[in-house]
Amino acid sequence: MTNSVAFTTVVDDIDDEALDDAFKKRLGFGFWVAISWLGLVSLAALLAPWLPIADPNEIANGAPRDGILGDNFMGTDALGRDVFARTIWGARISLGVGFLGILLGIVVGGAIGIAAGYFKGLTDQVISFVVFSLLSFPSLVLALLITASLNRSFLTVAMTLGIVGIAPISRLARATTIQFAEREFVQAARVIGAKSRRIIIKELLPNVLVPMGALTLLGMGISIVAEGGLAFLGLSVEGEAISWGKSIVDGSQTRDLNQNSHVAFVPIFAMFLTVMALNFAGDRIREYTDVRETAF
Amino acid sequence: MARFIARRVVQLILVLLSVTFIAFGALNFLGDPLVNIVGPLAAIDYCDEVEAGLREDSYTSINNSRGDCEIIGEAKADFGLDKPVIQRYFTWLGNIITGDLGTSFQTQLPVSEIIAQKLPKSLMLMVMAQIIALAVAIPIGVYSAYRAGRAVDRATSVASFGLLSIPNFALGVIVLQFFALRNQWLPASFDDTSIGTRIHSLILPATVLGLGIAATYQRLLRTDLLTTLQEDFVHMARAKGMTDRHIMTRHALRPSLFSLITVFGVSTGALIGGSLVIEGIFSIPGIGSEIVTAVVRDDFPVVLGSVVVIATGFVVINFFVDLLYTWLDPRVRAS
Repeated sequence: MTNSVAFTTVVDDIDDEALDDAFKKRLGFGFWVAISWLGLVSLAALLAPWLPIADPNEIANGAPRDGILGDNFMGTDALGRDVFARTIWGARISLGVGFLGILLGIVVGGAIGIAAGYFKGLTDQVISFVVFSLLSFPSLVLALLITASLNRSFLTVAMTLGIVGIAPISRLARATTIQFAEREFVQAARVIGAKSRRIIIKELLPNVLVPMGALTLLGMGISIVAEGGLAFLGLSVEGEAISWGKSIVDGSQTRDLNQNSHVAFVPIFAMFLTVMALNFAGDRIREYTDVRETAF
Repeated sequence: MARFIARRVVQLILVLLSVTFIAFGALNFLGDPLVNIVGPLAAIDYCDEVEAGLREDSYTSINNSRGDCEIIGEAKADFGLDKPVIQRYFTWLGNIITGDLGTSFQTQLPVSEIIAQKLPKSLMLMVMAQIIALAVAIPIGVYSAYRAGRAVDRATSVASFGLLSIPNFALGVIVLQFFALRNQWLPASFDDTSIGTRIHSLILPATVLGLGIAATYQRLLRTDLLTTLQEDFVHMARAKGMTDRHIMTRHALRPSLFSLITVFGVSTGALIGGSLVIEGIFSIPGIGSEIVTAVVRDDFPVVLGSVVVIATGFVVINFFVDLLYTWLDPRVRAS
């Protein structure tokens, strides 16, 4: 479609199909590939207990240190546990803590960010100072500080990742709120006497949620990586629980890494593809919502 | 400028107070410091009765002729655990300022001594990583902006996107396997014999850390350069017949470095987190490895001391980056 044709259609009447085309074009083929991969991994993670795969914690499920495409589809680790099954079960915890973490970060960070940006004054100063202090820790150090003295259950790890996300997310929410709080439709609502609660929920929240949508995906990728970092510090979920981070740590002991490197490489590959898909999809959504912002 | 710096210094002090309080508070509120000092004995809950003479003290502690409650009482008095947290915080803060970070429960060495011994290795790793990052990112960033949209630019865009998606520990494990174990081109662990062996054995881990930040730097530099290249003074220079190379390196590069300087502080944070993890993978006995061991052994003073040193360093670096940035770009000062 050439430029001149596009102009005439827009002027004549807004063609829904043309808009749909534009939408698909902007998100692109890669976006749908990324989303499909994410869907596949999430589905495998959700359905892991019912999938026809080996028991991930069964020792000597196959011969120890068996290579890829041997008796076990993706080989076995030093204890003869099935690497493929462990990677799928690992997705449960990695995606789980990633998703719960970013959800917590967005709910809490978003709420205090909007409060700071809307109420300004002392509220803003106090919140901004706390946020600034939290940002003064390298994120992994902050996570370490929280998990170091707690029992590390699934929920504590997810909560830790969430707390780490609160500060940067609230910054974004605050900036977006300030930007929108000065716009005409918000002032109009204030003029006709709407209460703060109504303005925040009806006028500001929908607009702040748009950049947050892209952030959910990007942030989930960051959380998944952060779980891996914690695993290397020995601070991921305790006990028999399997996560990608813990599997990578398992496989990276010198002897295994040298002779049986797939034990580490299979979960690394799974994590890499997932994080890349999250980054890619997040980037596309951000670009897409940005475009809408300027076009209308 | 003097007033600006004075305000920033006040802010710096406030942030340092709050950062140390968060670190101290996190370990004191989330965990029971008594557990960290006396171990499982802390679970004993009948010491009040023993004190009142209603009950005999127990003697479960190994190679210790003193009663359990006696030990707990001493620990509480020694560490001031019977006082409120705020009061303990200020006592502790006073000690830190005079350079006393406490004593390790495990090794009985002063924490400041442990940190002084481990920190230089971590610093060396981080400095090397930053040098590698800049050495890789600046030429590639300049070239990809110069040839924007061409094959090299597209290839580097894909490569940096891939690099940003691969966690540093994953890259570390892959690099360790390929370059150190399978092919033994470079050492797999730290060698402390001389300065030469130290640099040699840090090449792999520093490259792993550096490449991750290089991707961020390259993207920012490319974007900024593309904006700068639209400026009139660039067209002017071109009209005067200057070579492309001269324009890129002498005219366009310097005004395009602002974003890169801004993220320098942020990337240092990523670098600190990254080196905590990478040190373990490449067996570097730095502060990261020390923290990992201390966490496993519940060595409370070592964890707290290391975290405080790291966080303070990070805050101070960001403070200087901020000043540098303001000095380079007077527009920031106005706002």
